[in-house]
Amino acid sequence: MEPLYTHISQQYNVELEDIRSKVLQMGGLVEQQIEQALNSLVHGDTSLGEAVIMDDTKVNKLEVMIDEECSQVIARRQPAASDLRLIVAVIKTITDLERIGDEAEKIARMAVRLAGEERPKTNYAEIQGLGNQVRQMVHDALDAFARLDIQAALNTAREDYKIDQKYEGVMRQMITFMMEDPRTISRVLNMIWAARALERIGDHARNICEYIIYLVKGKDVRHTSLEQIEKEILGRERR
Amino acid sequence: MKRKTRTAAQPAAPAYNGDMRSPDEKTPVPAAAPQAAIAAPIKAQAQKLHFYYGGTVHALKDINLDLAEKQVTALIGPSGCGKSTFLRCFNRMHDLYPGNRYEGEIRMHPDNVNILARQVDPIEVRMRISMVFQKPNPFPKSIYENVAYGLRVRGVRSRGLMDDKVEEALRGAALWDEVKDRLPDLAFNLSGGQQQRLCIARALATDPEILLFDEPTSALDPIATASIEELITELKLKVTILIVTHNMQQAARVSDYTAFMHLGELVEFGDTNTIFTNPSNRRTEDYITGRYG
Amino acid sequence: MSAADPTADTRLHGIRALIARHKRWDYIFSVIGLVAMMIGIVTLLALFIDLVLDGYGKLNYDFFTSFPSRRAAGAGILSAWVGTVLVMLVTALAGVPLGVAAAIYLEEYAPRNWMTDLIEINVTNLAGVPSIVYGLLALGLFVYQLDLGQSILAAGLTLALLILPVVIVATREAIRAVPGAIREAAYAVGATKWQTVAHHVLPYSTAGILTGVIIGMARAIGETAPIITIGALTFIAFLPPSPVTTEPPFISFDWLFAPFTVLPIQMFSWLSRPQAAFLENAAATGVVIIVMTLAMNAVAIVIRYRFRKRIKW
Repeated sequence: MEPLYTHISQQYNVELEDIRSKVLQMGGLVEQQIEQALNSLVHGDTSLGEAVIMDDTKVNKLEVMIDEECSQVIARRQPAASDLRLIVAVIKTITDLERIGDEAEKIARMAVRLAGEERPKTNYAEIQGLGNQVRQMVHDALDAFARLDIQAALNTAREDYKIDQKYEGVMRQMITFMMEDPRTISRVLNMIWAARALERIGDHARNICEYIIYLVKGKDVRHTSLEQIEKEILGRERR
Repeated sequence: MKRKTRTAAQPAAPAYNGDMRSPDEKTPVPAAAPQAAIAAPIKAQAQKLHFYYGGTVHALKDINLDLAEKQVTALIGPSGCGKSTFLRCFNRMHDLYPGNRYEGEIRMHPDNVNILARQVDPIEVRMRISMVFQKPNPFPKSIYENVAYGLRVRGVRSRGLMDDKVEEALRGAALWDEVKDRLPDLAFNLSGGQQQRLCIARALATDPEILLFDEPTSALDPIATASIEELITELKLKVTILIVTHNMQQAARVSDYTAFMHLGELVEFGDTNTIFTNPSNRRTEDYITGRYG
Repeated sequence: MSAADPTADTRLHGIRALIARHKRWDYIFSVIGLVAMMIGIVTLLALFIDLVLDGYGKLNYDFFTSFPSRRAAGAGILSAWVGTVLVMLVTALAGVPLGVAAAIYLEEYAPRNWMTDLIEINVTNLAGVPSIVYGLLALGLFVYQLDLGQSILAAGLTLALLILPVVIVATREAIRAVPGAIREAAYAVGATKWQTVAHHVLPYSTAGILTGVIIGMARAIGETAPIITIGALTFIAFLPPSPVTTEPPFISFDWLFAPFTVLPIQMFSWLSRPQAAFLENAAATGVVIIVMTLAMNAVAIVIRYRFRKRIKW
């Protein structure tokens, strides 16, 4: 992605690079939050859950900081074209990252609450499966952002379908649990919340992928079906 | 199979021309300078325009550009890219200096006259197309006389008609309220911004069809600049505007269409929103993002 | 703090020493310049004062109203100053329109090619041709060829030729000082070349043109050689015929063809007399010529100042 940092003004390059690396740093933090929240849930580890909740303030601080830097770049550099799209994409991306952080925090709180209760016989395997898939998707989205790789962004966005399907499966399973043994209802409800949070994280990751496509291609692909996006962008790509 | 994809992708192609990662060097640029679809009716058309300074310097190369009627078209590009040269073709300013040569044509509509044709008198062209220059250049005469001069040249004798036209032009240039009590004063006593608006009034007094601006705010402070820009957006209700500017933000602020020129070629032309958010051409991208080196 | 820092202190001293060294040259040159200026001014002033002291006694009403005479005491410069004024009138009427028109043509109309360049170079060079050469030319052309005789007209035209290069050069400079932006502004609203020249270029360069004209006239007023060459008389005891007559058509141009003398010639003829009394007359005439020249230059300065106030590019 060499053309991003080839401005005449070196200081401008430094500023943009700084924003980009802070976004990746924030992404790394959020990824770690998801992982720790899942582990906390699966292993009933309250200290990990507490750590996730603590980390959320760091994520929030980073969001504010990046926002501030972006508005400074807008005020002082009047970015245009790809620079403008980078700033716009970053501002949107960090909002989604922050929401992902919030969802991870929710899962962590759930994990802390569930740690004291009786563990299910599946040992949260369904949630773990869904969680790993979601974590991988967030990882891939951030990777695509780092490399500005629209092919990877598209593939990652496609993952959202699988996550939605998996979520449906988990939900059906939870309902079965509740019907089998009404005593588990309160615990299963908490698990449903956790699954719901993971599904939301998948949506946010898909949003990030769409911003990457906007950043690279200058085309707003929100509220467009994946087939449509693919037809327009990959059709061109293959030419 | 491959062929099919290709044809299917054709209609959408121009919009995605500027993949950031793959510079479009594969696209041959000047001859196929993309002609963005203009929504408004067309006031003037430059077709295959070439221009030579002193018979030797090839300053404009095959320019094809449409001016949308009652819209603002901005010309941007680095120094020496030919944008002012192109602007000055529109009122045949180059005819004042020996050895300059035009090739190709600029057609004005609706009458379809080629204003560069040898048999068309440059004075006729200048009576239809007015110009505002880079530095405010009022005549060392009274404010009134400055505005009235274009009318005098056109043989207006009636004092009443002249007064009306002068007032109308000064109002059009947002200067009337500031100068109505001192019309006989020397124009040099006005501030820089006022002088430039006086020059706009002088250009307006003769009801031009097209108004040319050659970096009209480069000698003005930011406040005066803002008032000129505001004026330009108001003027486009009445007249077609072509503006050359060094200030990209100014082009972004005032224009409906933007043309990027480089080394005498028209590199990219399109609606201003697209040019400033997602230009098709790598050179345009580099220039407007400050990468031009 | 900084005073205690030795390196900063030496640095500052170094800078001060450097400035002092450089400024010495300012002082040295100002002294040289002052001396050079004084040599010029003092010499001229001494000459002028000497002239005034010599001719002071003669500068009275009678001196201006008497014809020259064999008796030094009764001699005056009436015919000479009238002759000078009339010759200058002819010079101005002939030289100024010719010069201005030629300058406008060269500057605004002439195509830029080697012919124009050649003409330009020669016009500038003409200003340096010795005035007696003009006299010779005028003798052949005006006096004999055109048969104007040794008249006011012939003298006026000769001096007009003499100041022509000065007027052309001054006018071109004045026209060139009008910014191209003003010309373009006029053309841009649809003016023709003539409209641009008549409405803008000429009015805005009037100050420069007038200055040039007056300086040219001031040079012509003191010219002796070409006037002598065409044969002006040194002793004239009558005035040329009046331009206004009592019978129709009331205006007469006979004066143009009258014989004449001018102030420098009068002065010259008195200087060649042996008697000391005539030298006094010559000195008085010299004072009159100098005062006339200075007055014309003063007018030029006033005009320039007036216009400058109105036009600032």
